[in-house]
Amino acid sequence: MTREEKLQLLSELCLEFGPTGSERYVAKVIKEKLGDIEYTVDRLGNIIVHIPGEGAPKLMVSAHMDEVGFIINEITDDGYLKFDTLGGIDPRVMCGKYVTVEGKEGFIPGVIAAKAIHHQNADERKKVTPHKSMYIDIGATSREEAESLTEPGNSATFDSEFVIFGEDGAFIKSKAIDDRIGCAVLLDLLGRLPKNCPFDLYFCFTVREEIGLSGARTVAHAIDPDFCIVLESTAVADLPDVPESRRVAKLGDGCAISLRDNATIYDRDFVNFALEAAKKKGVAAQIKKYVSGGNDAGSIHRSVDGVRALAISVPSRYIHSPANVISTADYLSMSELVLAIIENGKEL
Amino acid sequence: MLDIFKKISAAHGVSGAESDTAGVIAELMTEYTDDIRIDNLGNLIACRHGVGENRKKIMLCAHMDEIGFMATFIEKNGFIRIAPIGGINYTAVALTRVRSERGVRGIIAPEAKTKPADFRAENFLIDIGAKDEKEASRRVKIGDCFRFDNDQIKLLGSRVCGHPADDRIGCAVLVDIARQLHGEDIKDDVYFVFSVQEEVGCRGSKTAAFAVEPDISLAFDVTATGDTPSATPMACELGRGAAIKIKDSSVICDPTLVDELIEVAKDKKIKYQLEVLLYGGTDTSSMQMTGAGSRAGALSIPTRYIHSANEMIDMADAQACADLAAEYIRRGE
Amino acid sequence: MELEKLINSLSALMSVTGHEGNGKAELESLIGAGFDESFTDAVGNRFFVKRCGREGAPKILIDAHMDEIGLIVSDIKDDGFLTVAPIGGVDLRTLQAGDVVIYGKEKIFGVVGSTPPHLRRPDEGNSLKEATELLIDTGYSKEKLSELVRIGTPVGFKPVYRHLFGSRIAGKGFDDKSCAACAVMGISRVAREELAGDVYLMLSSREETGMFGGAAPGAYSIAPDYAMVIDVNLGKTPDTSKSETVAVGGGASLTLCPVTDRTMNKKLIALAKEKEIKTQVCVTGGSTGTNASAVNLAGAGIPCVDVGLPLKGMHTATEVLDLEDAESVAALVALFVSTKDLTEVTA
Repeated sequence: MTREEKLQLLSELCLEFGPTGSERYVAKVIKEKLGDIEYTVDRLGNIIVHIPGEGAPKLMVSAHMDEVGFIINEITDDGYLKFDTLGGIDPRVMCGKYVTVEGKEGFIPGVIAAKAIHHQNADERKKVTPHKSMYIDIGATSREEAESLTEPGNSATFDSEFVIFGEDGAFIKSKAIDDRIGCAVLLDLLGRLPKNCPFDLYFCFTVREEIGLSGARTVAHAIDPDFCIVLESTAVADLPDVPESRRVAKLGDGCAISLRDNATIYDRDFVNFALEAAKKKGVAAQIKKYVSGGNDAGSIHRSVDGVRALAISVPSRYIHSPANVISTADYLSMSELVLAIIENGKEL
Repeated sequence: MLDIFKKISAAHGVSGAESDTAGVIAELMTEYTDDIRIDNLGNLIACRHGVGENRKKIMLCAHMDEIGFMATFIEKNGFIRIAPIGGINYTAVALTRVRSERGVRGIIAPEAKTKPADFRAENFLIDIGAKDEKEASRRVKIGDCFRFDNDQIKLLGSRVCGHPADDRIGCAVLVDIARQLHGEDIKDDVYFVFSVQEEVGCRGSKTAAFAVEPDISLAFDVTATGDTPSATPMACELGRGAAIKIKDSSVICDPTLVDELIEVAKDKKIKYQLEVLLYGGTDTSSMQMTGAGSRAGALSIPTRYIHSANEMIDMADAQACADLAAEYIRRGE
Repeated sequence: MELEKLINSLSALMSVTGHEGNGKAELESLIGAGFDESFTDAVGNRFFVKRCGREGAPKILIDAHMDEIGLIVSDIKDDGFLTVAPIGGVDLRTLQAGDVVIYGKEKIFGVVGSTPPHLRRPDEGNSLKEATELLIDTGYSKEKLSELVRIGTPVGFKPVYRHLFGSRIAGKGFDDKSCAACAVMGISRVAREELAGDVYLMLSSREETGMFGGAAPGAYSIAPDYAMVIDVNLGKTPDTSKSETVAVGGGASLTLCPVTDRTMNKKLIALAKEKEIKTQVCVTGGSTGTNASAVNLAGAGIPCVDVGLPLKGMHTATEVLDLEDAESVAALVALFVSTKDLTEVTA
């Protein structure tokens, strides 16, 4: 894929609808992209592509399809939608943002709103409005109108543009980069695998990572891999007002390889091997210098009799918001880093 | 300019009682301007006529008044109760020297055991050393105004501190502009307005602006800085030059005027910085919105410890303000 | 042009208080055609005049403020981050993770930074960052950014508009440019000879920053015989009471209070009913909270009415209004400029 094609693919995947539990929309697009490539879908909705390598160790490479979002839990008498969150979203990034709501027929636009600033007292203005005090305004004027459009149990996501910005387009801003970026890289890699691949490969597009690392658990159980690589985005704060020790990683310095996070202690040999492979191929990579978050590796490495795990994450500012920001170069280097590992797989 | 500043700064001028200061300034300005008058509120308005064909009116304004205290009641034991004039930071002024318009000296002190968090006018008193009410009332009349008794002193380099810099330094800048333009033909009519009652709500500049009807107006006043330890972040420092105001809490300056001032500063290599002040207002707003309004801006003199008895400035910044304004006027419209 | 398109086009212009002249040419091309002349005054008020062609006709002022809330750059930091100061009552809850445009020498896209839950410190509790504590992420180097942006450069919400269900629309800048659009539409619908006087549309400056609005000097210099001030009005939401809001979908609101003119209010309400223009009243004991108070007291005094367009989510990037209400406001403007004896007290 060319640079333009890669950016186009990421844009298409990020803008697709797919909050936790409602991955079917983005899954449909991924299946279309797979084209002639054979795949299976398990009972939870995980998509698995098997590229057999006889007798070789099993390597599972996974990315999750779901994104953080909202689920409608009530329709009010005057036609507003009350909601709960799907995944960890800070109320500071919700209020006043556009959302796309899953309707009865197609999608409908809406706005997350709360009491106007003019009606807040001085104390309220300084505090976060909890999401339970917010509602989605879809323009309906009554319960009947709203109920004709959507219903409780339907979900919603941020409606936010995909923008390439900064000096010479060095950065990308979008919703759902977590983890459509992993999905995009998997799709890119499928056409670029070496002929004599040293692994029996499983590429997995998983569901429900944002709540309980759930989808990956059942896939890993079914595959029973020897190794896994989780492709992710990780929260970083390389900002001038954050002390160096808490910045996690730096955008533009390559993908981050984790030593540990709140769910996993990664396989030290695998980590060193990955860093070495990156160096050999001249691909930028950095170590994640902070312990935070967790990803599908958390459930995969604990499955069956244990899996040696590696996480490769594109460093992302402001994740779980409508505006994830990543470095364009980091994204483009992610496939190369995974390829470097696969190509040198015999030495693992 | 330092001598002129010291001279103007030494005159009494608590809001509403600016006539001493007006007298000192009028004496300095007479030489440099074509006519000079004092309006009904006490504003001193001096004018230089321009010779341009389509001449505009440019109003330069600095306020003469300063914060202080008014005697409201004399206690049996000779202590004097006060009302504040202007925004007083009681923590900053506790136990500083004051002097009344009649020349009586004293100190302003909080009542004993008052916690700093509870400091306000009601629990502050002026102690002039009087034995009792009788002695005190011979020297102080109800209504007498007290100002801080802190002459300007020179610190390191070109830094100066004392009271008040706010806004006698602006007045000194105006005098210096008039001095610089003296003897030169200028295109536009320039009004040098030394306004009254700024500290109590920009009242003087309002009536002055209504009378002058300026096309362009520029205020000269002090502004806060972000250059002391743990200060609220603000990209403004002592010694970094004239601060061209972008906004304060009462005004957003005319963006074209801001651009014009920046251009002049760049051209003439006059040191400047840009000022975004989150709190505090100036005469700029009243000049902008009085009558049919004017294109308004301000050149500020960065000042540490504003509204204390020790306001610190860098004279080089004040000079930069004067040079920039003089050059702006020379260019004309 | 249909009303929705005009509302969105006007609202999309960046006009953060003090920078109302930003889209001057665009504004002229969008609405200039229907007027005889236009000019800007010293404080940035923009006037569009449509004359009735009769000598000695009254002057009618229609005011809608052109400025909008926003941010300005207060400092340029390392790695292309900007700190900002708020202009007007920006709703702090809505800024983080929002898209903005920095209007420097070039338009630059920016994201308002936020802290993900993964990196949030427990001691931050439920406090909300002040606007001055936020960082705008531009993706530029400090050097390059300093060439394009300076302290004081305005920063606006990125204009994005959505048509919600029915006649509701959402977007930034509806306060108060949607009302400006209604005014233009209303005036354009009245033929010159039908006008009750010379109509001065004042797109006023500096309303959002408090006590010192451009409407006062503007009204002072025009000295109209009477005026209509149009501004958005707080729309009812589930968390507010009826008495402190107006109904979205309830039509144009007319404010009854000591500031507004009783005679004109009564006549307008009666005439609107006749013409089937949907109106509702909004009653307040104090000031209108709009330019009406300033216009009313300009010069020797100007009788005025205060018309509101119900709006939800005021001062956010996703304000919501009902196009049917906007149509009512436009119709009321048309009625106002075409009714001849509005200020005359009848028995």
